[in-house]
Amino acid sequence: MKPAPFTYVRPKSLAEALGCLDDDGDAKLLAGGQSLVPLLNMRLVRPTTLVDINALPGLATISPTPDGGLVIGALVRHTDLLASPLVRERTPLLAAAAAHVGHRAIRNRGTVGGSLAHADPAAELPAAAVALDATLTIVGPAARRTIPARDFFVGPLVTALEPREMLTEIEIPGPVQRGWGFAEMARRAGDFAIAGVAGIVTPAAPGRGRSSTARLVAFGAGDTPLRLPGAAALLAGQPIDRALARAAGDVAARECTPRDDVHATADYRRHLVGVLTEQVVLDCAARLGS
Amino acid sequence: MRSKPTRASSTDVADAVGLERDLRLVGQRVIRHDARDKVTAATAFAADWAMPGMLHGVVLRSLYPSARIKNIDATRAASMPGVAAIMTAKDVPRNTLWTDVPGQTTAVGSLRAKLHVLAEDRVRHQGEPVALVAAETEEQAREAAEAIAVEYELLPGVFDPAQALEPGAPRVHEEGNLLAHWRVCHGDVAAAFARAAVVIEGDYRTQFVDAAYLEPESGVAWIDSDGVITIRVSTQVIEHFRDVAEVLNVPQNRVRIIGTYLGGGFGGKEDVTVEVYLGLLAWKTGRPVKMVWSRQESLLARAKRHPFRLRYRTGALRTGQIVAQEIELLADAGGYAYLSALVLLYATVTAAGPYRVPAVSVDARVAYTNNVPTSAMRGFGAMQVVFGYESQMERVARALGLSPVEMRKINALSRGDTLPVGQVVDTHVALPELAERAWAALGELTPPRAPHVKIGRGLACNFQPYGRIVWLHDWSSAWVGFEMDGSLVVRSGVPDVGGGQASSLCQIAAEVLGVPLEQVSVYIADSALTPLAGTTTASRQLYMSGNAVLKASRELCEQLLKAAAAVLGVDRDAVGLADSAVRTADGRSLPLPELLHACSRMGVPRSHLGVYHAPAGEPVDLEKGAGKVFPDYTYGAHAAEVEVDTETGVVKVLKLVAVHDVGRAINPLSVEGQIQGGAVQGLGYALMEDVVVEKGINMTTSFASYLIPSAVDVPDVRAIVVESGEGLGPFGARGIGEPPIGPPAAAVANAIEDATGARLSVLPLTSERLARALGLM
Ligand SMILES: Cc1cc2nc3c(=O)[nH]c(=O)nc-3n(C[C@H](O)[C@H](O)[C@H](O)COP(=O)(O)OP(=O)(O)OC[C@H]3O[C@@H](n4cnc5c(N)ncnc54)[C@H](O)[C@@H]3O)c2cc1C
Repeated sequence: MKPAPFTYVRPKSLAEALGCLDDDGDAKLLAGGQSLVPLLNMRLVRPTTLVDINALPGLATISPTPDGGLVIGALVRHTDLLASPLVRERTPLLAAAAAHVGHRAIRNRGTVGGSLAHADPAAELPAAAVALDATLTIVGPAARRTIPARDFFVGPLVTALEPREMLTEIEIPGPVQRGWGFAEMARRAGDFAIAGVAGIVTPAAPGRGRSSTARLVAFGAGDTPLRLPGAAALLAGQPIDRALARAAGDVAARECTPRDDVHATADYRRHLVGVLTEQVVLDCAARLGS
Repeated sequence: MRSKPTRASSTDVADAVGLERDLRLVGQRVIRHDARDKVTAATAFAADWAMPGMLHGVVLRSLYPSARIKNIDATRAASMPGVAAIMTAKDVPRNTLWTDVPGQTTAVGSLRAKLHVLAEDRVRHQGEPVALVAAETEEQAREAAEAIAVEYELLPGVFDPAQALEPGAPRVHEEGNLLAHWRVCHGDVAAAFARAAVVIEGDYRTQFVDAAYLEPESGVAWIDSDGVITIRVSTQVIEHFRDVAEVLNVPQNRVRIIGTYLGGGFGGKEDVTVEVYLGLLAWKTGRPVKMVWSRQESLLARAKRHPFRLRYRTGALRTGQIVAQEIELLADAGGYAYLSALVLLYATVTAAGPYRVPAVSVDARVAYTNNVPTSAMRGFGAMQVVFGYESQMERVARALGLSPVEMRKINALSRGDTLPVGQVVDTHVALPELAERAWAALGELTPPRAPHVKIGRGLACNFQPYGRIVWLHDWSSAWVGFEMDGSLVVRSGVPDVGGGQASSLCQIAAEVLGVPLEQVSVYIADSALTPLAGTTTASRQLYMSGNAVLKASRELCEQLLKAAAAVLGVDRDAVGLADSAVRTADGRSLPLPELLHACSRMGVPRSHLGVYHAPAGEPVDLEKGAGKVFPDYTYGAHAAEVEVDTETGVVKVLKLVAVHDVGRAINPLSVEGQIQGGAVQGLGYALMEDVVVEKGINMTTSFASYLIPSAVDVPDVRAIVVESGEGLGPFGARGIGEPPIGPPAAAVANAIEDATGARLSVLPLTSERLARALGLM
């Protein structure tokens, strides 16, 4: 099918884009179109105006921050994440996550901002953003605000974005997280995951008495990217071995909240979260060299 | 030099006069004209057609699987912009089509099945057509269809074939839910089980599957200047012009179907799709009308592959020899009969596999439900049973400590054996060789890449009938003729579904008549202008229409050579056709155009109509085992190597070898393409394809939910073509359209058991099912 009729605008500045959103309460932003266009074609959404943000300046850049982190513009494509030496060096977890998004044609068009704003509970980048403790910058008619990724995702396809707001960039804090892991299982190459896990283990800072900490985030296993605090707590301050990783997997399987759908039952997703958590924890540890 | 002693007339003639004439074109890896056209986007598929003043037609479909239609109000829709016509059942001249359901057991009796063009007072499945709209644009047509108010009263439905057969189940049709029942009784089954050293029982299930062709159902209809209702459509069966005529209540010679090159058929375009609706709307409006079903619509409502429940009890001696098979089959027909009774017949006849089994009983039923209808799909019943009998073969072999290849060798059919239905196998069965070659071609065992990964191998064989049931008295016709300049024209009603049907006919004609392939033009699939060739189904076209073209070409050749002999003043036996010229034994030659001009002067026709009649027979009583059911069978063996992740249950097929005895490969490129395509479709069936229907509601109406494998999900399929020369087709060819889809599911299931010890008996073999079987959850 084809979309219901709509007006198409292609603003040249952020202010103009926000103005378009202001003018029409039923407007929608168009970034890579990889999630929006299928919804339009199936007429699951019928916006009256489509605000194409691809011509907005300055949103497609990846810039280093002094603390070793990165600021990534909303229009950066998944392919750019994969191609960027900066991303690979400073946020290898994000590059690994992007590699699992769809197929090349989709990665060439799809954007970081679109992926986060779309907030599919099985998507990779939202989970990676939460695991990396990213901060999102949102601009609206009145002001600019920031929000931690962990508070941004509200439910399936629902975020903290207000109708007239736009996501402009995400910041991933430094220092570089070397203890990362990422694993997912999909029924078919390039499909959304049945379930997946992203993880970061931060080593104890030598001589400062802080023990190691972990952040584990499951996707495809709840209504949003799902933090696994119980599993992460188990790892805190402990040397990681197979038994501990397995124990963390068991806790993760218990604390996730997946649902049934045509592709898999909640039980199977739970099982996968357990197995994948174990694998991710071991990968984090191996990368830390512990 | 002669390569085979059985070559016929023209080649023999050439040999007789000493001209070196091996087959020039048959057996060559010829680039098909249609392949070139598709790659360069030159092919005009059905949906590519447009005409001035053309309307767009859409179908309004039932939302519910079982409901009474209390009222249809189209007044608002009719007044919407652009709307040219709205039709409901009462506007269809003959809305009810009756078909005879063949060959029932005494328990069922003969049945006439009913199909409504548009639903009348009730709907029997979700997606059943209820009304038609034609409008200036497709948008307008869809909007108007949405504005038609249909008042439904929900009725109880039945969604499981076993429940449908229970007393008191809601009746899908007044006659009751048992649609067809076939039985086979061969030998003393009880006594045979008593002799068995090992008895294995298995209960298997297969799923609903979609044809999922690239090209959805589509066509354009118009009333031509001669008043004939003309429909250019993507179909496997141009003979549906008769159905259109019946529905419109016009003479059959007032409807013409022009078949296009298809973007896939797989049986899904064997029944009527858009053509009747197009005919109705063009007839009603007098204007050209286009109809293209959306992917969602096609996935929602088009007939699927039958899900089967297969219950097997297999008895074997300690030597591995199978002595008894007791088989129960139950299939889901969905809301209407379509071809269910015949699909079940194929399953019944082939249920014991390509093996010599002295005692067999088969009890096979298919029931109506309020699920999406099921009908023909590549393999047509004979493929669903492969999962049953090949799983059983593997399990018996394991119980007795025999290798998969030994097990097949011990039991393989051979010429002279009798099938459980009483048909004597009268061609060569190369099964032992096929199994050996498939297994050997797997090569070195792949080492597991991690401790939790296991590698396993599985084998599965099959046999698939090609050609229609002998009592249908199948025939095909073709016209072959030269133009004055020596270029050749082939006319045949064959629809080309993408298997290279048209191209192979050109190769055969060019071979026999001694012209280069580039000199041949082929006209296909026009019910008014090409001689009827029958359906492109049942793996029959190369066999049937290939034989018709061969016959026409040979008879034309004979006709021309007689004239040539007269012109040159030599014996008939001293001339042959080669390189677009007549050649004589004494080294003279006469260019073809000169011969053709001479023919013209002498009144010798330059064309010939060939009609090929398949070996026919009378209906047999399957139960009594009376005789021949199918003309012949194509045999195959696939071997798979899989990798199983024992923590997640994820299965990856690392290798698949597919070996088939095709009798003779007319074009090895096409044959390998059929084998690889079929095997990949079989892997999709094995691992992921699944139309999920919950209480009659289809949950998989997009390619995000209905999964088919992409290029990265399957290994390179190694196709091995074996040529026994034993087929009934031209030059000894057998049909290869359907056979390769049969074995992969069983081969993969057997490989999974080899790797893990876990036996999966429900398709598709998902990682979740394996995780459960491995006790992981
Ligand atoms: C076949 C296929 C497979 C896919 N597989 C995967 C997969 O495996 N994993 C995965 O994660 N994704 C997958 N995707 C989706 C893909 O990743 C999309 O790129 C992503 O989800 C959306 O990004 P986009 O730029 O295309 O956004 P769009 O489709 O343009 O927009 C999506 C939504 O976000 C809103 N939006 C876009 N940009 C902004 C912004 N800057 N501020 C506020 N709102 C905004 C839009 O209004 C819209 O509602 C797949 C898509 C397809 C078609």
